[in-house]
Amino acid sequence: MLLEVDNITVAFGKVSAVKGISINVRDGSIVTIIGANGAGKSTTLRAISGLEKLREGQIRFAGEVISDLPPDKIVGRGIAHVPEGRRVFPDLTVEENLRTGAFLRKDLDQAEADLRSVFESFPRLSERLGKNAKTLSGGEQQMLAIGRALMAKPKLLLMDEPSMGLAPVVVDEIAVIIRKICAGGVPVVLVEQNAQLALRLADYAYVLETGRVALEGDPDALLDDDHVRAAYLGV
Amino acid sequence: MVELLAQTGLNAIYAAAYMSLVAVGLVLVFGVLGVINFAHGELFMIGAYVVVAVFADFQMPYVLAAAAALVFVGAVGVLMERAMFAPLRENPLGGLVASIGFLLICQALVSVQFGVRMEHVPPVTQEVIVISEKVRLPVHRLTVILASIALLSSLWIFLRKSKFGWALRASSQDREAASLQGISISRISIIAMFIGGALAGIAGALTAPLISVNPHMGHSVIVAAFIVIIVGGVGSLEGAVVASIAYAFVHTVITTFWDGVIADIVGLALMLAVLIVKPTGLFGTADRA
Ligand SMILES: Nc1ncnc2c1ncn2[C@@H]1O[C@H](COP(=O)(O)OP(=O)(O)OP(=O)(O)O)[C@@H](O)[C@H]1O
Ligand SMILES: [Mg+2]
Repeated sequence: MLLEVDNITVAFGKVSAVKGISINVRDGSIVTIIGANGAGKSTTLRAISGLEKLREGQIRFAGEVISDLPPDKIVGRGIAHVPEGRRVFPDLTVEENLRTGAFLRKDLDQAEADLRSVFESFPRLSERLGKNAKTLSGGEQQMLAIGRALMAKPKLLLMDEPSMGLAPVVVDEIAVIIRKICAGGVPVVLVEQNAQLALRLADYAYVLETGRVALEGDPDALLDDDHVRAAYLGV
Repeated sequence: MVELLAQTGLNAIYAAAYMSLVAVGLVLVFGVLGVINFAHGELFMIGAYVVVAVFADFQMPYVLAAAAALVFVGAVGVLMERAMFAPLRENPLGGLVASIGFLLICQALVSVQFGVRMEHVPPVTQEVIVISEKVRLPVHRLTVILASIALLSSLWIFLRKSKFGWALRASSQDREAASLQGISISRISIIAMFIGGALAGIAGALTAPLISVNPHMGHSVIVAAFIVIIVGGVGSLEGAVVASIAYAFVHTVITTFWDGVIADIVGLALMLAVLIVKPTGLFGTADRA
């Protein structure tokens, strides 16, 4: 197992946002976490990246415990995170944003090659190379956030609601990109409110409700589940 | 009249030069650490006292004293970061309060060591460039101007071209997103505090032979630095430089033609006006309000 989230609890003051969640990700797969507003999806991802401290439980990556490391060390282990709301650096140029993603890399020639391949995958970014990120559209900023994460040459990619606020055409583009990333050998943990999209893409799915895993399993099975259909697919 | 304007202009350039060094450091620290360092003016003061000790008392070369001020005050900045700001990382208000405590400690230690009276630093050079009968530029003032330009240009190039420069800018725009790129918040905070301290220290060292050195001299620059930063837009380094030049001009012109107190009042009024019209500062972006 590449990533093992083992019964973790995260609390803000007295309120537990995540109450004993376990999630596994195997190599070569797309795993999705769906759930309503405030279910604890982002908090789970942030805990994996070291942005939130665990109150209980443990997180292992490639067999090693990472839950006591700071975020920068976790990036160094090979986990990149495309955060909720994209969080590109508004006053850095597109190119600077992408290069920041490669901050820890020592293989500079390979990083240059990766920069070119990001521009090939996202031609619209290469057109805006020297523009500040804040001047990009929402879709372009999402591409930039994804490209920046790929520049770290991750072994695992965490994505928090990449479809949020984007037009349906752009969402389709993002879906293609996510498939490509996984096909390229980087497994993805995809957090989504857009359950339709997420279940279509994923190999395995978790449904969170108020900080707990309410359901998990094969996405096709969940698509047929009455509760999931009523609560998350609106049918 | 032309001559008076020319002389005022020269004075303003001199004031803008060292004010920019102080203000840019304060902005850098606020941007990266998210802490308003109230003791920043004291770092300026310590820089001046390094010159008192090394140049005036020990009679070492002035250049050596200035270099010592840069390194020593930079190190004091790093000490502040490790001892105060790092443990209070999740609590920027706590960092601010701690910095006020540090300010008082600095003033007390310097007073104990050097006394509260004004220190006289002997002039490094008495030479004056005479441009015309009424327009004169003391060579030491020219040195301050040129050194400030050199330092600020180096900082600019560092921020634009180097990997750690990018990391500083990225961290000042979004610290958490920066940490998700593998940038260590601890290390980047140390770098920011070193640069901020070093710039304040060298500003104090550069001006020490020209102003009255005393344990409370940090006050005057910190008030001006805050005005500059608020006018320029909190968090914008470019804004701090432009605003400090603008402020120094306004201040010097008003002091020359009217009075220093009126100049301070105008500066504060300017700050209020900017806050009312554009709360993010002239050069600030919305997300940094
Ligand atoms: N920094 C914080 N301080 C206090 N409470 C928080 C904090 N972050 C999240 N919470 C709370 O934790 C719970 C889970 O939040 P989380 O952001 O993980 O939800 P989510 O599933 O990502 O929701 P959304 O779909 O809206 O992004 C919510 O009740 C939220 O209010
Ligand atoms: Mg969320």
